[in-house]
Amino acid sequence: MKPIDPRLIARIGPARRYVAVTAALGFLTAFTILIQALLVARMLAVVLAPSALTEDGLGPLGRIVPLDARNLAKGLPLLVAVVVARVVIVWVQERLAHRAGTKVISELREAVVDHAASMGPRWLATGKGTEVVTTVTRGLDGLLPYFVRYLPQLMLAATVTPLMFVVVLGLDRRSALIVALTVPLVPLFMILVGLETRRRSQKHLDAMERLGARTLDLIAGVPTLRALGRERGPAARVRDLGNAARKATMGSLRIAFMSGFVLELITTLSVALVAVTLGFRMIQGGVSIETALAVLVLAPEVYLPLRNVGTHFHASADGMAAADGALSLLDQEPVRVGTPGGRTVELEGLPLVFDSVSVATPDRTRLAPSGLTFTAAPGAITVLCGPNGEGKSTALLAIAGLLPPDSGAIFAGHGGAAVDLADADADSWAAQCAWVPQRPELGIEGRSLSLGQRQMVAYDRALTSGRSVFLLDEPTAHLDGAARERLVARLVKAAREGVTVIVATHDPLVIAAADLVVDVRATHTAVALGAGS
Amino acid sequence: MTPTPRAPHAARRGGSPSSAAGSASSSAAPARLDVRGLLREAEVRPLRIAMSIGAGTMALGSAIGLAAVAAWLIAEAAQMPSPAALGIAAVAVRFFGIARGVFRYLERLVSHDTALSGVVALRTRTYDRVAQSDASRVLSLKRGDIVARMGGDIDAMGDAVVRSIIPLGVAATVGLIAVAITTACLPIAGLALAVCLTAAAMLGGALTWRSAKLAADAGTEAAARVSTATLEAIEGAIENRMWGRREEALAELRAADLDAEHASELAARPAAWAAAVIQASQGVALVFALWLAVTAAHHAGLPPTTAAVVALLPLSAFEAVSAVPAAVVQAFRSAAAARRVLAVTPEVDGDSREGERDQDGGDSRGAAADTATSLAVVSGDLTLRLDGLSAAWPEMTPTKPVTTALSPGGALGIVGRSGIGKTTLLLTVAGVLPPTAGSVTVGGAPVTKATLGHTIAITPEDAHIFGTTILENLRVARGDVTRSEAVDALDAVGLAPWLASLQAGLDTILGAGSLTVSGGERRRLLLVRALLSPAPVHLIDEPAEHLDADGIDALRSLVLAMKAAGKSIVIVTHDLGILDVVDEVVSLDVD
Repeated sequence: MKPIDPRLIARIGPARRYVAVTAALGFLTAFTILIQALLVARMLAVVLAPSALTEDGLGPLGRIVPLDARNLAKGLPLLVAVVVARVVIVWVQERLAHRAGTKVISELREAVVDHAASMGPRWLATGKGTEVVTTVTRGLDGLLPYFVRYLPQLMLAATVTPLMFVVVLGLDRRSALIVALTVPLVPLFMILVGLETRRRSQKHLDAMERLGARTLDLIAGVPTLRALGRERGPAARVRDLGNAARKATMGSLRIAFMSGFVLELITTLSVALVAVTLGFRMIQGGVSIETALAVLVLAPEVYLPLRNVGTHFHASADGMAAADGALSLLDQEPVRVGTPGGRTVELEGLPLVFDSVSVATPDRTRLAPSGLTFTAAPGAITVLCGPNGEGKSTALLAIAGLLPPDSGAIFAGHGGAAVDLADADADSWAAQCAWVPQRPELGIEGRSLSLGQRQMVAYDRALTSGRSVFLLDEPTAHLDGAARERLVARLVKAAREGVTVIVATHDPLVIAAADLVVDVRATHTAVALGAGS
Repeated sequence: MTPTPRAPHAARRGGSPSSAAGSASSSAAPARLDVRGLLREAEVRPLRIAMSIGAGTMALGSAIGLAAVAAWLIAEAAQMPSPAALGIAAVAVRFFGIARGVFRYLERLVSHDTALSGVVALRTRTYDRVAQSDASRVLSLKRGDIVARMGGDIDAMGDAVVRSIIPLGVAATVGLIAVAITTACLPIAGLALAVCLTAAAMLGGALTWRSAKLAADAGTEAAARVSTATLEAIEGAIENRMWGRREEALAELRAADLDAEHASELAARPAAWAAAVIQASQGVALVFALWLAVTAAHHAGLPPTTAAVVALLPLSAFEAVSAVPAAVVQAFRSAAAARRVLAVTPEVDGDSREGERDQDGGDSRGAAADTATSLAVVSGDLTLRLDGLSAAWPEMTPTKPVTTALSPGGALGIVGRSGIGKTTLLLTVAGVLPPTAGSVTVGGAPVTKATLGHTIAITPEDAHIFGTTILENLRVARGDVTRSEAVDALDAVGLAPWLASLQAGLDTILGAGSLTVSGGERRRLLLVRALLSPAPVHLIDEPAEHLDADGIDALRSLVLAMKAAGKSIVIVTHDLGILDVVDEVVSLDVD
């Protein structure tokens, strides 16, 4: 996984700004850490030097922190100023991180939801919608630790670590050599251990998942066991399964924690080596006390951000995975029906003509409907019948302008004046149709209603909408005798008033009222269909 | 069949416990979990916690030791001694350099092992409590709810050990060590460091707690609104488009997001202050240490090496304290998870304590006791009598009174239209619900919750098929079912051809990710359980809208087999096709 997803930076404005600001704050932090270290070295060196300090141990850096900072009266106020600056930077960084994090999450969520709403009925029917809902709610919330913890540390690793290295290099080449030799070991060993962990832990993960699933299975069966009076025994199995899972987990953790171990070992041992080397070289007079102190204080700062990046990586991995899922959805093509901004057509009084319309099933093995040809006249009831799965519902979706045909065309009107749906503005087309699916969703207010009640509300809404085309999918399937007759009577009345009524149904009562009955059939795809045709 | 819900996280956010919070009595789970209570529940030995904190202290203590000895080493080297004088310090610095990583590794292993054992114990205990609690409650628990509470929530309780208790313990001990070293060098500087460390821990911790609380209070509601708006916009996309509500749905999401941003903003404020306070404490500690050390060296004759140690220690002393906010957040989350778990962990029936005690080795003893109870009952009079029995959940219309008697080997059908209360009546016959009027007796003794599973067993309509072998699924009814008994019983309900079609036979694994059984096969497997159950009376809730011919055949076979075994059976169904299968039919329809 990339540390920063370029798609996130490219698409989401706040993410871009935040990365830039955080990088700037990283440099400021690096600068304050540097000043703090130099000030400490200046003030402490006076006490530690066996004789009065004559030369400037900080070399060219002495220009940033003047010699008279050795005097407590001068140095301490400066140190206080640096401390205040660091507190402010930390506070600002935290505030910005939170704000940017929540903004990015909101924007990404809105973009994904907007996009998902254009993916069409087919995509929704696959259940991907539910998955996306989980990803953009709980999943994306996991991005907050990424923005608040991980990203700032990453920026510090990109600013503080190199800057501190350059400073140490300027102060003392030998210490810089130790740093230069050890810093690359950190990512190297992390990768090596990481690969080994991945290789080993797959086996453990599988075992874990099995054990976890079996435990949850036992738990889910509690009511059943209770009903049979057998609830006592499984507690011991829950315990055994749990212990087996614990052993498997510990097995993989022993390897996984190795990366942390290597990281800590390299970073602390390097600092220790720098300190010891400095000590022995000071005795030989090779290094001044002021230089040694500055290097001693700065050396751990080179490694600290690297260590923190490692610490926060796992906490933000879930959020990054969710962001990846969300961004991948944004890359998918939405369903396009008609021509946005194309011709608008008044459907009222116009016949709807199906000219050999075929739609491929999602797995593209069948055409359902296949070569459907009929004309639904205004003022008439057209019934689409045929066995389940032959494409009746799909045909209704195509008329409503919700799904494009893979071949053939749907026209409004006859002859030269006919308008192809493919050239029309699908939104205005859809706005003239009243479509009621088998399982209508009515929004929040519909939650408390049963399916039958929701259908009644949905029919009412459709039949009183004043729209020119009614598209009803199995409207009588869940109604009793009297309600069926009432609904059919209303459909007949609407048709007599000039509405184009198209119903997908098996119900003999509806078929008896039909002016035209169309048999909808599917075929197996003999020829491969182009994906975009 | 319904797939087994696998993801324990799925319902974690939906934290509001759906079942009425159990009035946890003293014999049940504690009403509130403090740290000690949690550790006791999780059977975590204090020694393990102490070992983890010890290792963590050694790890972060090594960082302090490294800083202190390195400061001493540099200060000493400045006095130009012979190289030998630095020898021990040089060894010590390298030792600390290695020790930090080693002890940190040990700490993580010990603490994770401790936490995982705790999770196993908590889960087992909660399982026991839920399984043995009030039968009416258990039978009405939602599967997703149980799984979420016993899965993710118990994991979150375990996280308290690794991410909260141990880091806080380490912060305390490492802070003490740093203060002790500094005090030994220069008491006044020790005091200053102690004040700064305490301020960082206490203020930082308190502000973080406040942030977590704000996030939970305002955030949960906002998150729910965002979830709803997202769901509406995506799942209702087609209808929204049709009815011109698309923009409206997106606007609602935008508004919900603003709510969530606002809630997050509220919570972020104290969190940012917590970070600032910890940074400030460290800065103040450094300023004071440097000032006190340099002044004491100049005017009070403090040796330069000691001054260096005092002045530089604050740079490494705050690492442990920096972990306090994360530990506090985890404590908050674990506490919330614990509350949710407690809410579904209800009161335990009287005799359950015993069961808990012998859970390690006493499984067979428990089973033996079960058998003994049922055998004792089997030998007596086993006539099931319903006397003017009427049943209802609270605040519902009671069913029509039923009076009938069913002698061993008899079969009774209860029919009635949907919603009339057939299942409720069945639960009352089982002793799960108290009768609204009348009585249920077996051999003259009233049926109670305690007789459930011993005298009377139920096969509820949504009974669970476990993700294990066919044989083990049948042994759910009785632990000692032999292979030939299993084959005979499967044959009795017409599953012999199905069994013959399976390569692994009785050892075929059922359930999610394995062989899926059809609805008809599933119902029959459940009937086989009824056949194998040792209970002399079995109740079957047959949910099918209409039984097909095979379904009726299976029930007929079951009734015959039960008759042969001298056991009685009560079947509840919509379907009048049951009429020619049972000896007697009672209708609940009021006409």
